[in-house]
Amino acid sequence: MKTLTPSIMELTDNFSIETNSMDLSISHEIINDELKLKITANYSQIPSRIKLISSNRSNFKIIADIYLNENATLEIIDENDYIIDTSFIFKSFLASRSVLELYRFNKFQSDTNNSFVHTCNMSNGSIFKDFNFTNGSDFTNNETKINLNEENAKYVGSGVVMSNSSKCENNLEIRHLSKSAVSDCSFKAVTRGSSNVSFKGKVFVDENCSNTQSNQISKGLLIDEESKINLTPILEINNDDVVCSHGAASGKADEEVLFYLASRGISKSEAERIYIQGFLSEFIEKIEDAEMQAKGQNFINENC
Amino acid sequence: MLEIKNLNVTVEEKQILKNLNLNIGKGEVHAIMGPNGSGKSTIAHTLAGKPNYNVDSGEVNLNGEDLLSKDPYERSLNGLFLAFQYPIELPGVTNASYLKQIVNAHRKSRKETPIDAGEFLKILKEKSKLLDIPMDMHSRFVNAGFSGGEKKKNEVLQMDLLNPSLIIMDETDSGLDVDALKTTADAINKLRNDERSFIIITHYLRLLEYIEPDYVHVFQNGSVIETGDKTLASRIDQEGYS
Repeated sequence: MKTLTPSIMELTDNFSIETNSMDLSISHEIINDELKLKITANYSQIPSRIKLISSNRSNFKIIADIYLNENATLEIIDENDYIIDTSFIFKSFLASRSVLELYRFNKFQSDTNNSFVHTCNMSNGSIFKDFNFTNGSDFTNNETKINLNEENAKYVGSGVVMSNSSKCENNLEIRHLSKSAVSDCSFKAVTRGSSNVSFKGKVFVDENCSNTQSNQISKGLLIDEESKINLTPILEINNDDVVCSHGAASGKADEEVLFYLASRGISKSEAERIYIQGFLSEFIEKIEDAEMQAKGQNFINENC
Repeated sequence: MLEIKNLNVTVEEKQILKNLNLNIGKGEVHAIMGPNGSGKSTIAHTLAGKPNYNVDSGEVNLNGEDLLSKDPYERSLNGLFLAFQYPIELPGVTNASYLKQIVNAHRKSRKETPIDAGEFLKILKEKSKLLDIPMDMHSRFVNAGFSGGEKKKNEVLQMDLLNPSLIIMDETDSGLDVDALKTTADAINKLRNDERSFIIITHYLRLLEYIEPDYVHVFQNGSVIETGDKTLASRIDQEGYS
């Protein structure tokens, strides 16, 4: 586990950043109530970590430009329970062999609107690990666009959405623009109340991109009759030398599983909770960082 | 212990069990044999309370209580355990976490506090060893990717952890090789005592050579057509059901 030194930068009265590293450069300005951030990470022996801290005083919009220089590793963690509207617009650039890890564990108050838009450009051998855990909010929009611009770039992403009488739109576009790049994406949603969750996952493989590997899976679990889940995988492949797979499935809880749990003394409500917990935890091992994996598991356990 | 009186059960509009009568005393081991479709698994699922297994008429009492009026989970908490023929996979839930949760469900019904993590690990190690189950199996998701033998051993492990008074084994011997069958049978024999009863559903004599039954019943068309001692199983093995 990496140690955070007590270094907190108060950027506004509503928003702070906690950092652990001297190898980070962070500048900011406020223009028309928008907080503009510029973050540059350089190589350091201990990976750099940034923790976003919201005081939840008022709605905010953050526009962040994030640069990772060669061999830099940066973790960004957003572990806030938001009771206000939020809007994040991230643009990141990953230089050769750099690693960006983005972890979001967010509970949103039901009457808020929240948007997260991220465009990531990736260079040779860079890695982006992108994990998002979301619960609640009247409206949530997640939009991520990944450009695997150079060889051996790798994107690993996983989204977990627990929706309670809310609308949640998720769009992920992964563009393989150079050979030998890898993308691996999983999305899981559980809907309750009159929720409406959509996931559109597009994988584009350009014609020169031989030795491409891409895997995408999306699954939805409908807990009641009123909820809707719309999963749309799209593959556009322009090269024959690729290994690409995709799968999408949604449905209700498996009665056979619920009966199996009941036959062991588990009540119906508890069986449903275990079922949902298992459904959402299926890909938790994709998170290699033990501390972050535990946070993800706790988020699922607490919100099932 | 268990009294089944004139039990009639319909599944998907087809009557499977017809006026079934069966009495099982404390500490007794009863084997049920019969051809495919004779209703062997139906009795197992009906007793466990599987949805869509409709009891048209009849009574079932377990330890003096009406079993059929109880929800499936209450039947388990009241001492009934069904070892599944095809154990269900539960992706995303590790076996250790699952086993601890079922143990705690039973402890809660007895108004006991949840089991201490260290104590549970110690018990799990002891009981896994009896069944030749490696501890790393408990880090995997429940039954997901388990071999047939691992799944069946995991069922026996659960019956050991939950300490039931009536155990129904639905073709537990299927999918087990000779060594696994012996290990599993040894573990089951250790669970035999004067208070605990067994219903062993099987097609074959080989499991009954390890777990000696007190009674053998032959099912046909949803009823018991013959009852005998263990020699009946040997006769069926040699001569078949016809």
